[in-house]
Amino acid sequence: MSGGTGDVPHYLRSGRSDHAERVTRPPALEISGLTVRYGDTLAVDGLDLAIPAGSTVALLGPNGAGKSTIVNAVLGLLNPESGAIRVLGRSPRDAIRAGTVGAMLQHGGLPSEARVGEVLDLVRRAFPQAWPLDDLVVTAGIEGLLARPVEALSGGQRQRVLLALALAGAPPLLLLDEPTSAMDVEGRRAFWTTMRGLADRGHTVVFATHHLDEADAVADRVVVIADGRVIADGSAADVKSGVAGRTISFTASVERRLDGLPAVSGVTWQGGTVSLATSDAAVTLRALLSDGGLPDLEVRGASLEDAVLSLISTGRNTPIGAVR
Amino acid sequence: MNPLLAFQLRRIGRNRQYLIFTVLLPALFTVFFTEIFGGLATTPAGFQREAVQYMVSMMAYGAIGAALGATIRISFDRASGWQRQLRVMPVAQAQVFAVDVAVGALLTLPSLVTVALVGRFVNDVQLGLGTWVAMVGVLWAGSIAFVALGLFIGLSLDERAAGGAMSFVGVVLALLGGLLAPVEVFPGSLRTVAHAMPSYWYAQLGRDVAGGAGPAVEAVLAVLAFTAGFAALAVLVARRRPLYAVAG
Repeated sequence: MSGGTGDVPHYLRSGRSDHAERVTRPPALEISGLTVRYGDTLAVDGLDLAIPAGSTVALLGPNGAGKSTIVNAVLGLLNPESGAIRVLGRSPRDAIRAGTVGAMLQHGGLPSEARVGEVLDLVRRAFPQAWPLDDLVVTAGIEGLLARPVEALSGGQRQRVLLALALAGAPPLLLLDEPTSAMDVEGRRAFWTTMRGLADRGHTVVFATHHLDEADAVADRVVVIADGRVIADGSAADVKSGVAGRTISFTASVERRLDGLPAVSGVTWQGGTVSLATSDAAVTLRALLSDGGLPDLEVRGASLEDAVLSLISTGRNTPIGAVR
Repeated sequence: MNPLLAFQLRRIGRNRQYLIFTVLLPALFTVFFTEIFGGLATTPAGFQREAVQYMVSMMAYGAIGAALGATIRISFDRASGWQRQLRVMPVAQAQVFAVDVAVGALLTLPSLVTVALVGRFVNDVQLGLGTWVAMVGVLWAGSIAFVALGLFIGLSLDERAAGGAMSFVGVVLALLGGLLAPVEVFPGSLRTVAHAMPSYWYAQLGRDVAGGAGPAVEAVLAVLAFTAGFAALAVLVARRRPLYAVAG
C-alpha cells in the first residue's frame, strides 16, 4: 500500500499543541487507508489523513486528483473499497444524522420552484441546532435573497445560498468542495473572509480547491493531493519552501540544451520562455551561463504553484524527503 | 405536517403545467367525451352509462398523469443536485423516499375529485353518496400502482429521458388501457393487449364500484400485482443507481 505517512513530507514543525488538543477533542476527521475505485480507475489510493478540530485545511490538487472523491467518502455519499473514516468520532452517516457536518458539494444544487427562504427554512429545521436566521443571512451574504425564486439567482448568489445551507445547522465541521467555482473575484474575497471568520469561531473548515491562491491565503494547513494520494502536507509556506527554492526563467530557443542541468527539478516552456525550478539557483545559473547567454533573465522565489507542480511531477513516483 | 412533505407539495403547487395537465385537461375531456358519446345515446339510461364510463376513464387518466407527473420530479431533483443536498442533511433517506411516495399519492386526489365533481355537476352523473366516496377511494388507493411506476421511471432515467418516457407511458397506458376509447370497441387482438395494461384494470376498479358492485377480485389482484412489480423495480433501481456522477 502506498501513501502511508512514511513517504509523505510532513512539515508540521514540532508536534506543538496538536497532541494536547487531540486528547481533549476528537479529531474533526480521521481517514486511514481510504481506497476508492471507479471501475478500473483508482480514485483514492490508501489515503491517510487526520485533521484536528478547529483547523482550516485545504485539499489542494489538480482536477481529477481525488479531492471530490475524498469529500464524498467523508460525507458517506459513496462506499469506499477499503479504509476507515471517522468524522468527529462518528461514522460518516452518523455524523450527518447528528447534524455535526455541513457541506457544500461540487454537484450539489437547489430545488426548482422554491424560494430561497423556504429552502433555508427546511434545512434549518432538519438540524438539531439551527444557526439563528438573521445572523446566518448576514454571514452567508444572502441579504435580500430570501424571497427570491431559486431560478432567479446568479451563479455567485447560488453558491452563497449553498453556503447558507451548509451553515444552517451551525455544524462544527464544514466541508467545502470547490466552493468558489462560480464566484467572481469580489465574491471569492468575501467568501474567504467569511471562512476565516468561521475558523476564528472554532469551526473546522476543510475545503477542496485547485486555486493555489485560496489555499495560500486561507488555510493554515495545505494537503496536496495527486493521484488519490497525499504528496505533501504542511503550511503553505512549508510546502513552498519544501521544494525547489527558486524559479529561473529566460528566453531561449528550442535548440537550447536544458537537460542535465544541476539542481533543476522541473522545466516548463511557455512560448519562448523557459522556466526552471531549482533547489540551488547559483549552481544552476553557473551551469547555464557557461553554456550561453540568458536573455530576459528572471530569478524569483517559487510560488505555491511552482511548488505544487514540482511536487506533483516528482511526487508521483519518487517520494520526497520529509522536511522538518 | 412533515416539513419536507409540505415543502415538496408547495413546490408542485407552483407548477401551472402540472395543474393544467393533471386536473384541467382530464376535466375538459370528461365534458368533451360525454357530450360526443353521451349525445349518441337515445335514452337517459344510455346517456348515464356513457357519462359514468367516461367519468371513470378520465378519473383514471388524470390520476395516472398526476402520479407519473409527481414522481418524475425525482429525476429533476437528482439532476439539479437537490437529492444529494438532502443526503448531507440530517434527514433519513427512508423519509425522503416516503415523502416522494406520499407526494405522488396525495397529488392524484385533486384530479380524481375534480373529474368526479365535473361528472356530477356538469354531466349530471347520478350515484349514491356511498358510491361516490367508494369510487374516489378505490381509484385513489389503486393509483399507488402508478406512483410506483413513476418512481421506477424517475429513478431509472435522467431528467430529459424521464420527461419523454412519462409522456409516452402516459399515452400508451391511456390508449391501450381503453381510457380514451373503451375496450369494448377494440378488435380482439388489441383487447388482449388492453388486458395486459395496468391502466385497464385500474379503471375497471372504478367501473365496478360505480356500477354498484364491489371491485372484482380479478381487478384488485391485477392492480396489486402491478404495484408490487413496479415497486420492486423502483427499489432495485434505487439501490443500484448511484445518486450522481462523480469526477475528481
